[in-house]
Amino acid sequence: MTPEEIIQAVKSQFGEAIKASEVKGVEARMDVERGKSYEILLALKGMGLDYLNCISSVDRIASGDLEAVYNLSSLNESAKAMVRVRVPREDPVIRSVVPIWNAANWHEREAFDLMGIRFEGHPDLRRILTSEDWVGHPLRKDYQDERLVPYEPA
Amino acid sequence: MEQTEIIEPIQETMEEMYVNMGPQHPSTHGVLRLMLKLDGEVVTEITPYIGYLHRCHEKIGENRIYTQVIPYTDRLDYLASMYNNFGYVLTVERLMGLQVPERAEYMRVILAEMQRIASHLIWMGTFGLDLGNFTIFMYCFREREKILDLFESVSGQRLNYSFYRIGGMPLDLPDSFLTDCKAFLEWFKPRLPEYDAVMTDNIIFQKRVQGIGKLDQKTAIDYAISGPMLRGSGIKWDLRRNDPYSIYDRFEFEIPVGSTGDVWDRYMVRRLEMAESVKIVEQALRDLPPGEIMGKVPKKLKPPAGDIYSRVESPRGELGFYIASDGSEKPYRYKVRSPAFVNLSVLHVIGAGHLVADMVAILGSIDIVLGEVDR
Repeated sequence: MTPEEIIQAVKSQFGEAIKASEVKGVEARMDVERGKSYEILLALKGMGLDYLNCISSVDRIASGDLEAVYNLSSLNESAKAMVRVRVPREDPVIRSVVPIWNAANWHEREAFDLMGIRFEGHPDLRRILTSEDWVGHPLRKDYQDERLVPYEPA
Repeated sequence: MEQTEIIEPIQETMEEMYVNMGPQHPSTHGVLRLMLKLDGEVVTEITPYIGYLHRCHEKIGENRIYTQVIPYTDRLDYLASMYNNFGYVLTVERLMGLQVPERAEYMRVILAEMQRIASHLIWMGTFGLDLGNFTIFMYCFREREKILDLFESVSGQRLNYSFYRIGGMPLDLPDSFLTDCKAFLEWFKPRLPEYDAVMTDNIIFQKRVQGIGKLDQKTAIDYAISGPMLRGSGIKWDLRRNDPYSIYDRFEFEIPVGSTGDVWDRYMVRRLEMAESVKIVEQALRDLPPGEIMGKVPKKLKPPAGDIYSRVESPRGELGFYIASDGSEKPYRYKVRSPAFVNLSVLHVIGAGHLVADMVAILGSIDIVLGEVDR
């Protein structure tokens, strides 16, 4: 499938849930509602994009959101997809895609650990890179560590 | 006092127990801790604990301008620094739409493929060491030393080169490089059969690694495994061929694949890949054009707002960089998709049900670098 066809197919199936979409090279990019993100990603897998490259998390502090970015590709086709899901900072919950791809397991744990996005339905949502007793989520833009004090020359 | 003899009934199964492998264990190649649940000598469950080398790589990247991130990428996969530089500068170039001069592209490919050979050599040596074959370790380090000498003549550094720049290369190759590199390749090619004699054809080695740690194709795709591990499972997938970047589409090389996906197949893929890298370097040296090495790059790098995910085939697999830019001098978000991190996540599937001694071989066959796993 070409990226245009992918966007067409997803739009006809989910309509309103696709907030924005564009085609960049061989990549179909879309911003989707969080309520439908799981179903959309499942549908994309059904279209042949069965390889989950990466899940990134971005702190969009200006609009008060956290963002999860899913990068999908395929080992048989050249098409790729980038799916962005925004959630409010007060309630950062997204449905986990571990039932679709096991590869999501550690990526979601990392996004939880460093960015504080909670993935509902994740089988083992523990911190992965920081220690178990760490407080806060270091990759958030407003993260402050009280042990770090500004340098003041004597 | 009369002694009563107590005869305990022989237990059918051993008691289950937990054993920590690492974080200070010579076979974990760094500080990785594996919690093994053992039934006798058989591993029934594996829980990896990572993060001992976490140093906020991504957070640091957000607080540096784009060029200042390059030295940090060296420290990701410190056995293949050239390739991390390559992946990072390529991502920024794609984000900004920069063109790289021909000569710089060829230099990049030459250095990157030499780096792949060096990385596979280190893997082969330490893998042999894990399995008790010390000779191969000495052989591999001897050859790698010569590659490091070449890199030193080019960049002045032996491990962390920081030699790629956004838009090109900082320095041209020294005059002696072409002859030295050709001489090295001629010297290196007859060494490969030596490895076969001491390792590949060794029946003890074969018996140790054949049939263990099998990874089937479906699981491999489900876990997004990449690199030699994916090819070991029989999937002919190499980003240099399937999603070509830089000038890789100009070279002729084979993609070795395995059949059953066991440790032996992963070993053979890496062993054969070294010969393919030699072919690529030879072709690149033959075609190396004269000319500029640095493209037209603005003094202040300010990529347009937007985001990009781009990937290269590092010696360990798919090395991806996700960069979100807000139009300023610093990346708004900078994320590394490290191949070893993803490949390690399948360990509990392929390692369960094997003996502890085999665990060492299976872990070794993943080829992890903890600097990259923990970031």
